Amino acid sequence: MATEARTERSIGSERVREALVGYAFVFLPLASFLIFFFYPLGYAFYISYFDWGPLGKIETLGLENYRDLADDELFHKALKNTLRYTAVVVPCQMALGLTLAVVVNQALRGRTFFRAAFYFPSLASSAAITAVALYILASDGLLNALIGTDKAWFAESGTALESIMGLNIWTTSGTMMLFYLAALQAIPTDVYEAAAIDGAKSWRTFWRITFPLLKPGHFFVGVVSVIGSLQVFDQAFIVSGGGGGPNYSTMTVVLYLYNQAINDVRFGYAAAVGVILFALIFTLTVVQRLVFGRMEAA
Amino acid sequence: MASELPPIPPVIAAEELAKKGEVPPGPGPVTEGIPGREGADKIRRTITYVVLAAVSLLFFVPFFWSISTSLKTLPEAAGFDLLPADPSFRAYREAITTFNFGRYFLNSVFLASVVTGFNLFLASLGGYAFARLRFPGREVLFFLVLGTLMIPHELRLVPVFQMLSEFPVTHWNLLGSYQGYILINLVGATNLFLMRQYFLTIPKDYEEAAKLDGAGYFKTYLRVMLPLAGPALAAITILTFQGTWNDFFWPLVIFLGDETKYTLPLGINQFRSQYSTQWPELMSASILAILPIFALYVFFQRYFIAGITSAGVKG
Repeated sequence: MATEARTERSIGSERVREALVGYAFVFLPLASFLIFFFYPLGYAFYISYFDWGPLGKIETLGLENYRDLADDELFHKALKNTLRYTAVVVPCQMALGLTLAVVVNQALRGRTFFRAAFYFPSLASSAAITAVALYILASDGLLNALIGTDKAWFAESGTALESIMGLNIWTTSGTMMLFYLAALQAIPTDVYEAAAIDGAKSWRTFWRITFPLLKPGHFFVGVVSVIGSLQVFDQAFIVSGGGGGPNYSTMTVVLYLYNQAINDVRFGYAAAVGVILFALIFTLTVVQRLVFGRMEAA
Repeated sequence: MASELPPIPPVIAAEELAKKGEVPPGPGPVTEGIPGREGADKIRRTITYVVLAAVSLLFFVPFFWSISTSLKTLPEAAGFDLLPADPSFRAYREAITTFNFGRYFLNSVFLASVVTGFNLFLASLGGYAFARLRFPGREVLFFLVLGTLMIPHELRLVPVFQMLSEFPVTHWNLLGSYQGYILINLVGATNLFLMRQYFLTIPKDYEEAAKLDGAGYFKTYLRVMLPLAGPALAAITILTFQGTWNDFFWPLVIFLGDETKYTLPLGINQFRSQYSTQWPELMSASILAILPIFALYVFFQRYFIAGITSAGVKG
């Protein structure tokens, strides 16, 4: 009886010890997340209700920052540019990523090489790759020499944003290819064998079998691509020197947020822009979940 | 949340298979064996290779062109010769010595190494606890960790900026300091998630043996679990190092105005806005920024793939 109680107690104290060690181990990571993620999240919502300057609160505005944003033409322009950018880049990235993945998933000679080649632009930093693009798309650059024009692609308001679209489709489709490749390899082989026995043509096999089975892949790639596109900043900043030019054609939501916060020191207003971006990302992610969720059920 | 999060896909598991000489599953091989289709297959195959070669070219030409330019002289760079007449590393020397890219390079190496180190330690420590130790509230806390993935960087801009300019309680001014950058990047949720998933795949026998030997929790983590988690650690190393090395947004926010702290991406941007047409120097700086990541990728690729794959299995 006595020994039993002691064992129970020692098991109990062992449990407590394990729990304490557990808390100790997760303390630093959790503290870091609390201080640098959750606190900023709440803080951003909080100060978006104020006119907030570098020294703190100036005036309580309530929802006025949001009402001002509704009438802010430059913000509208930034939002429109960002949405247009997203509407073009996401489908292109997905289509290109999927195509490349299907191709390099075949038993090809030099497959490893092709995969590496397509992934290569994804490795480079936005600054380095944008510098390369600025060089190639300059009015006296390689592209113009090849097609016989002398357009300054990044310096004309009609082509600046489109050039950034092209650049980013090119650099990120390799990443999307990897995601799709992983999704493709999760499809069991016997599905294809059954289709081959039925004599299905490969084109039909792809649309009838592979494409629907890739739903989780579509969801993942879609979400990653939409979130990335809505946050487009680096290339717009670099190409326009931070101003969003020419003629605000490369002004994006995040670039606008950055300028409001860092150049104009309107912290409350910038926070309101951030909250709207957060809401937009959150909504689109939920919508995608619903769309692909329904497809899964069908 | 854990089930909400898309499983990290088993990237290129087939490459591993291919190394062992097995043909990976895929739509391609199945059609091969069907009689009477060899001719059509041959044509299709040829077309595939031609298209592949063309697309690869499209992916490589810009890099080839920038390497070629980086080895040219300035007047030569204005022309369109495929190769430099007299290739020299002059532009690289200029970039490193005259234009301070040496400094930016070292800053990048320093920050990327330190941030990677912290992530390796904290993500594995937390990942081990979340995978193996039982404590009340574990699932809720892990859910919180994954929740950080939904918070966009830009929403954090103003709060982090203010926090760094005067840190709460201690009143440090960390804006423009390496410490500030390191502090906000101590550990990423993706990394912690990866580590936890990997630890879950390791059989418990190893720890039980260690326990019988009288090893404590920390010793078990350090001596038993970490050595078994090589692939996951390699995956974190490459992801974090690349992410930090290529980061443009936070260095721009934190180091703005203090050139001595600039990393390569900021340096490249600054150089371009000042000397926009010195293409050989600019291209050599860009190559300098790309090469280390390329080398890291090639070196770690195998482990990287294994790490991501194993995380995907349990994901």
